Amino acid sequence: MANDKISTSVTAEAAHQRAADLIAAVPSSLAAYRCPLCNRDFGSYDALVAHYGDEHPASVLPVTVTLDLNGKLCDLLIEPHWTLQRTLQFRLGLTGAKHMCDRGVCGSCTVIVDNRPILACQILTIELEDTKIQTVEGIAADPKWKPLIDAYCKWDAMQCGYCTPGFLVAAKALLDRNPNPTEQDCKEALAGNICICGTYPRHSQAILEAALKIA
Amino acid sequence: MALQLKERISSMDQLIGTNDKRMDFKWVGKPNVPGKLSYALATGTAKFGSDYVVPNMCEARFLRSPHANAKLLSVDLEAGLAVPGVIDIITWEDEELKKIGAQPFGPPGRPYLDEYAEQDTAEVGVIVVAENEDICELALKALDPQWEVLPFIVDIEKGRDTEHPVIRQLNYTKMDMFGPQPAKPKAANVSYADTIQGDVDAVFAKTDADHIFEYTVELPAFASHIPNQVGSIAWWFDDPYHPEGPALHVEGAVQRRTSVGQMYGVPDERTVQEGLFQGGKYCDWGMRKAQEITPFLAKRVGRPVRCVDTREETFGFLMNQRHMSIKVAFDDRGVITAVDDYSVADGGTFSNSSFGTANDQGYGPYYTLRCLDIRQRMEIIDTNRGMMYLSGQHCPFNWDSVTVALHIIADKLNTDVIEIAKRNLHGPESQEDPNEVLSFEACIEAGKEMMDWDWHATGAKTLPDGRKHGAAFRYQMCPRHAFSGYESKLEYKGGKVHLPTQGPCTGIFAVECNALVVAEEVGVDYDDVVIDFDYRHTFTPVGGGSDGSSASSWATKENAVLLKNMILKQAVEEAENPPAGGMFSFGPPTPNPLKGYKPEDLDLVDGKIVVKADPQISHPLGLAVKKTLVSTFEGRPPAAIWGHMGKKFDTMNTVYAEVAVDEETGIVEVTKYGTAIDPGKVLRSTSLESQLDQSVYFSVGCQLTEDYYFDQETGVQLNKNMIDYKHPGVLDVPPSLKVALETRSGNAAYGASGISHSLSNTHLIMCAIHNATGVWVQPPATPDKVLKALGKI
Repeated sequence: MANDKISTSVTAEAAHQRAADLIAAVPSSLAAYRCPLCNRDFGSYDALVAHYGDEHPASVLPVTVTLDLNGKLCDLLIEPHWTLQRTLQFRLGLTGAKHMCDRGVCGSCTVIVDNRPILACQILTIELEDTKIQTVEGIAADPKWKPLIDAYCKWDAMQCGYCTPGFLVAAKALLDRNPNPTEQDCKEALAGNICICGTYPRHSQAILEAALKIA
Repeated sequence: MALQLKERISSMDQLIGTNDKRMDFKWVGKPNVPGKLSYALATGTAKFGSDYVVPNMCEARFLRSPHANAKLLSVDLEAGLAVPGVIDIITWEDEELKKIGAQPFGPPGRPYLDEYAEQDTAEVGVIVVAENEDICELALKALDPQWEVLPFIVDIEKGRDTEHPVIRQLNYTKMDMFGPQPAKPKAANVSYADTIQGDVDAVFAKTDADHIFEYTVELPAFASHIPNQVGSIAWWFDDPYHPEGPALHVEGAVQRRTSVGQMYGVPDERTVQEGLFQGGKYCDWGMRKAQEITPFLAKRVGRPVRCVDTREETFGFLMNQRHMSIKVAFDDRGVITAVDDYSVADGGTFSNSSFGTANDQGYGPYYTLRCLDIRQRMEIIDTNRGMMYLSGQHCPFNWDSVTVALHIIADKLNTDVIEIAKRNLHGPESQEDPNEVLSFEACIEAGKEMMDWDWHATGAKTLPDGRKHGAAFRYQMCPRHAFSGYESKLEYKGGKVHLPTQGPCTGIFAVECNALVVAEEVGVDYDDVVIDFDYRHTFTPVGGGSDGSSASSWATKENAVLLKNMILKQAVEEAENPPAGGMFSFGPPTPNPLKGYKPEDLDLVDGKIVVKADPQISHPLGLAVKKTLVSTFEGRPPAAIWGHMGKKFDTMNTVYAEVAVDEETGIVEVTKYGTAIDPGKVLRSTSLESQLDQSVYFSVGCQLTEDYYFDQETGVQLNKNMIDYKHPGVLDVPPSLKVALETRSGNAAYGASGISHSLSNTHLIMCAIHNATGVWVQPPATPDKVLKALGKI
């Protein structure tokens, strides 16, 4: 098995390109319909449905959905109970929305849906057709938001970095609705994110600096 | 953060650390230099172990105990295997599974998996492999496990009763790696450890009752700060470069690739790992079963296998609970003359770390005192509360048993607690050393100024809004680690210096700190220091906290000096004997202005080789030296103060807190929090500040919000999730002031020492609450506990 590309984007440009590559790699259409119960591929959804009828009659059928993700339409086969976080990680190769508390408490999986910050661990993917979804990879690939990423790196608004993408998405959502936030605005916008390395004061510094450059 | 190098500190030159007295710095200490991995982390492109998803992957889940202490009697294997999508089910009776051995820091002598589970959610008996996690869960339910529920202990005071049934059914030897020898044989669930210095009883016998007091300190248990679920993914493949056997690719076992490979008889060269990121494990070195089992399962099913714990299954202790009953004698000046500490500590589940229990006696806070008569006795209780993995950030917190004593004495003598601390702190060299600790003196001078420190007697200050004001102070020594990351390799290539490293073992900026040292010493731009991240490399910078000082930077600096000398010699060599041009070189060689000089005539500044006597004469490094050069250095700082157990100091840290207590509601607000520290030399200032922020977070969390709750009827922990377990958020953390002194008296590069987690504490805020109200509250100081202490409920 070929190794995945080593994910150490050590420069702003490399990280930007890596994010763009990840978005480009998201499949826009389904090449096969894989049965989640027996790992067999089928050529069409109808064939998969028939297979379920024959071999898994008591099981819930997977469903197809179309998502508008980071400006790209993509068709997916998922199980109906899948959250967006799970879909992003297990179907689309986007791991910026981190799986952490799984209870809607920590904010590590924050994404933006129709311009609002949403917790991807708390929303079902099947609810998101006809919405516009933006993940941290989409923000990273957009040059407009480079000052925000630069400021996060400049101010070390991270230690281990696991929760950081969730903070950054929440920060971007704040700047979308309030391009000139105060420090208190920053704190309130990030109140739903938990950083177990305790980096909180760094985030406000980064957001305030980025706001000046983006505005 | 303002860096204050005061005049008085310049008199500390005699304390200066090893390897050089450089005073002018271009890169070291520079703020806001982005981390080399920061962009990957911020943009979500960094992949942690649990992020990996590969084609044809299946998932695995352990059976978990629903009981605090139980033996698995049977499972319905047939029913489990009948669940659609189940690939395999392995039980503890599997002969191949029995061959898996224990790992470093793992449970010695105990099988990898057996039928006993010592806490709820403990892995026990069975592993299911299926097409996905949902199917695993269905199969685990279908197994219909039958349990024998065993007696349990989650209340350490109840566990002291030697009539309590023995909870640990296992008869495996527990190796106590760091603890002292047992004081006496174990009785029921209680082990004993004593560490005695001097004759405490004799001191108490000759001290009048007015100069003796007793108090209790309840060290709170609080959660480990691993943010991500721990786990791994593994698969086997044929490596054409190593055809002698199957190669293993495992992700999620960062820093333990070698030991995981060894579990399965795979040498390093055939054990592949690409990921660098593991989340904030910091000093949690323990491996979870989910990180070790996937190679076994992948071999069994012939496909990649992912096994990741849920958040509920990743809720180990950052620090174990301990109840301390302490008796102290002191003299008229407030100098402590005897300490008698009797502690009851949570020994946790099988293989719990001895840090936080017996091991801490060896370097307890009492040895920072002039007091020579110290008795520490401890009962260590086997419990079913949970597990603390080595080493769990334990040691700094325990120092607050002295912090509380100093505040009680300050209260009794109506004297500033800082003055009491000064009188008690021994000199730099030993407990008998009468000299003052200059680093400490500098810290408190700066700290008082920063905080506008105005100590007052207990209950003496009421704020304009009617709340009571309280203030508190504590000190700590810098831990000065020197235990790993001292094999440095540098490579000069084409005008750039490469720093090969397997990366930081935890989520810290230690690599960048070392790169700054390289830029400083070699004389190149920071951007021309290329960090080559590769798991195959040896160098693992660690130590001293987020600014990554201590052992690693010491070795790096030595090596950078070696490389610079090699570069200058090679520059002269190439000036005298220009290397042959490449295949596509045409024309005469470029004139070399360095011709005729000796290495000692030259210097390397800002990426150019310059003539010292006439800096106008220079040559770009990339042109001056074409040859690739490699330098290595292996060595460690000459002393690890940590091993002196508090009896010797170099750099010190101080922390201050002020609170406002509403006596009507019981709400405590930390109004001001300050740290005045002496990391010796700031190597990477932004990450050092971040480390200070982390210490505030830890301290506020364990003193105001975080707590474990157990069902006393079943022993099951009730709040293993981030809703019910209250980690502080951004609105919970108080504003903090910071000042960093640079006395250069540590033992790492330029006299750096690092602060590690030494600022974190369990009772500073408690002391401030006492100063405000006159009552002691044990952490966390939730409003109900404050009101109860005040006698209002």
